[in-house]
Amino acid sequence: MGLKAAYLLRNLLRNPLRTLLTCAAVGLPIMIFVLSVAAVDGIERFLNNSAKQLRLAVTHKAGVVNNLPFGHRAKIEGLDPERKHILGVCAVLWIGGKIPNDSRQLSSLGADADTFVDMFPEYHLTAEQIEHWRRDKMAIIVGPGTARQFNWQDGDRLTIRPSVPPYEPIEFRAIVPTGDVPDPTTNWFRRDYWEDRIAGTSAVPGWINFFFVRCASMADIDKYRVEIDRIFARTPDETNTLDEKTFMNQFISQQFDLPRNLTILSMVTVFVAIMAAANTMSMNFRDRIGEYATLKSMGFGRRTIFGLVQSEAMVLCGAGGVLGAALPYVLFTFTPLRNFTVPLIQTLIIRESVCVAGVGIAMLIGVIASIWPSILAFRLHVVAALRNLE
Amino acid sequence: MTLPLIYNLRNLAVRKLSTGLTLAVVAVVVFMLVVLLAYAVGIRETLSANGSPLNLVVLKPGATAESTSILRQVEWIRAVQTPGIGQGAAGELLVSYELCVQTNINRKGTDKLAYVAVRGVDPVAFQVHPEIRIVEGRDLQTGELECIVGKAARAHFEGLEVGKSLVMGRVGNHAYKIVGVVESNGGSLESEILASRAAITNSFNRQFISSIAARLSDPGQVDAALEYLNGPSVALDARTERRYFADLSARMLDIVKITSVLVVIMGIGAAFAVANTLYAAVDGRRREIAMLRTIGFSRKDILTSFVFESALIGAAGATVGLLGGLWFDGYRQDYLSDQTWSVLAFEMKVTPEIVLFASFVAIFVAVVGALAPALRASRVQVIEALRKA
Repeated sequence: MGLKAAYLLRNLLRNPLRTLLTCAAVGLPIMIFVLSVAAVDGIERFLNNSAKQLRLAVTHKAGVVNNLPFGHRAKIEGLDPERKHILGVCAVLWIGGKIPNDSRQLSSLGADADTFVDMFPEYHLTAEQIEHWRRDKMAIIVGPGTARQFNWQDGDRLTIRPSVPPYEPIEFRAIVPTGDVPDPTTNWFRRDYWEDRIAGTSAVPGWINFFFVRCASMADIDKYRVEIDRIFARTPDETNTLDEKTFMNQFISQQFDLPRNLTILSMVTVFVAIMAAANTMSMNFRDRIGEYATLKSMGFGRRTIFGLVQSEAMVLCGAGGVLGAALPYVLFTFTPLRNFTVPLIQTLIIRESVCVAGVGIAMLIGVIASIWPSILAFRLHVVAALRNLE
Repeated sequence: MTLPLIYNLRNLAVRKLSTGLTLAVVAVVVFMLVVLLAYAVGIRETLSANGSPLNLVVLKPGATAESTSILRQVEWIRAVQTPGIGQGAAGELLVSYELCVQTNINRKGTDKLAYVAVRGVDPVAFQVHPEIRIVEGRDLQTGELECIVGKAARAHFEGLEVGKSLVMGRVGNHAYKIVGVVESNGGSLESEILASRAAITNSFNRQFISSIAARLSDPGQVDAALEYLNGPSVALDARTERRYFADLSARMLDIVKITSVLVVIMGIGAAFAVANTLYAAVDGRRREIAMLRTIGFSRKDILTSFVFESALIGAAGATVGLLGGLWFDGYRQDYLSDQTWSVLAFEMKVTPEIVLFASFVAIFVAVVGALAPALRASRVQVIEALRKA
């Protein structure tokens, strides 16, 4: 075993330049793979959280830009007065917004103060933060990613100019969740504060963009998805109710379909890495035909030779994979790049599991790339090979 | 004296596997680059096609796009005094008050809904946007519940053929008869549905407009007009149409830019793959190189020959990648803007510039990857290499 390991290491160091170039040619695609998968992972976590939370999203049937009257909330709640199946209803108003003198677009939503905390338990607010939210009308729960971007701390006063009427700057006081939040970009403020602020302006009070409805079970989700639309049918404000995952996914899939396209990109990069590694392994085999023949003539079995070629490719590609996975992990975890914004998910969180998967894929690339050279080495005819030696 | 081309071609043919694998790497990079650029160009060209130098777009300050802009009559009425406003054939001012809403329509052949923009306009809009041309059917008739649809919208979304009815409105009970199909030089208006502003105001229960499109009589008036509209007497957010659509496309292209960075990293990886192949080729041909030097070829000839050989791989890879990428030329896509909240239907475009750029990138990658090995080849010690022969 020790002898084989030493032989393997020597082989890798025999042509350091080739080893280095192969590591780079495999490592860079693995880096793209890790970055792509991390981005898709961020979106998937967001969508999976939506599916897990047993929530329905209720929008206007004519499209999300058309507002719904706040009065719909009482009618939805009226479907289950005992709150056994519908655990809560939260009205939401999109205002987008920007910080004065800053071009970056925010995603800010107004929510009903009384139901928000129970509606979105995934924000893991502390008891103190919940108390702040309930006590302070100016409270705004800032997405941790957005807070990092703007360097906002708990308790900071911040001003947002909404992208909807009355378009006048409004002051808020920040609450920054400390835990891992599925949507690190969105800010939530109290809708009652908004209604106070728009009084006497051109904005029309009492209108919202959509409702979130929290249900007790999947059966309730299926039931009330139909039931809610039924009670508003043939009214001036008909609704379109979807489960939250479908609702969120319709935006994501219409915006460059990032999950699908990044998945394609990561598959293509793996293909590129296989090509690059296969090239090296075939060159290595050509250079070492005589050596393999000598090993065979000395008594090393065909399987051992096969294993040596495979192991060498695995170690070589694995090393490239380690470099390719470690670099983005370090850059996006420990350097200012962690504040780099990615559309849809804002902050790129590279999990250790994604890096491990990257290294695993790299080793698999080594196995695939060396299949043909190892078979050739396995089948190598000793006499014929030695005859060709110079 | 330079080495003949056939020498390079035969060398590539001798190492079929290595050449093929390296070519595949370059081809994939070129393919990805072409597809991404075609997507970006499709969006950019669709949006920039609207950009007349004579036109201004006026929104409510703070609004991100027409869909979030609300202008009351007291605000929009002031725009008529904008200096330099052009006049139509009958002497009317070329100021178009437009109401943008949206309706849900399935994408063709799927059950997936898309948010399609609906624009309520007055007859003057067709003079403010002279690029709008009826290509099928007829124009809107005043007082009728009719609409005309953009060419891209008809191609992309279900049920938008002339003669059919499209149910729209806040209550969803107003059936608009589709009477025509329009083109607008490939611009974003082709993704929209146009109807009479009065009808849309009524159907969607709106008491405001979204934006003002104003056409100036002369581009020299742009500064004065912008100063007036953005100034204290009107206090709106006016931009040239070109600027407005450039801002929109910049935001839409953010995602494409980030994906492009990944493709650039892949390109660097390809350069390493090329270098690897060429180093192996140099090592395997030391005697041959020494022989070439002996019979009179200079170091420069050797260097040039290796770089040229690599460039041939790059060119072949570019050809294969481009052929794959060209398959996406004209491929229909749509994009939901998080500023307009409506989809932009567009065609991916593989332009001659993209072909040239991708070819350049492929050859550049191949040449950069070949430089170090080629330099090593040119420095082969003749005596030493021949002694080993």
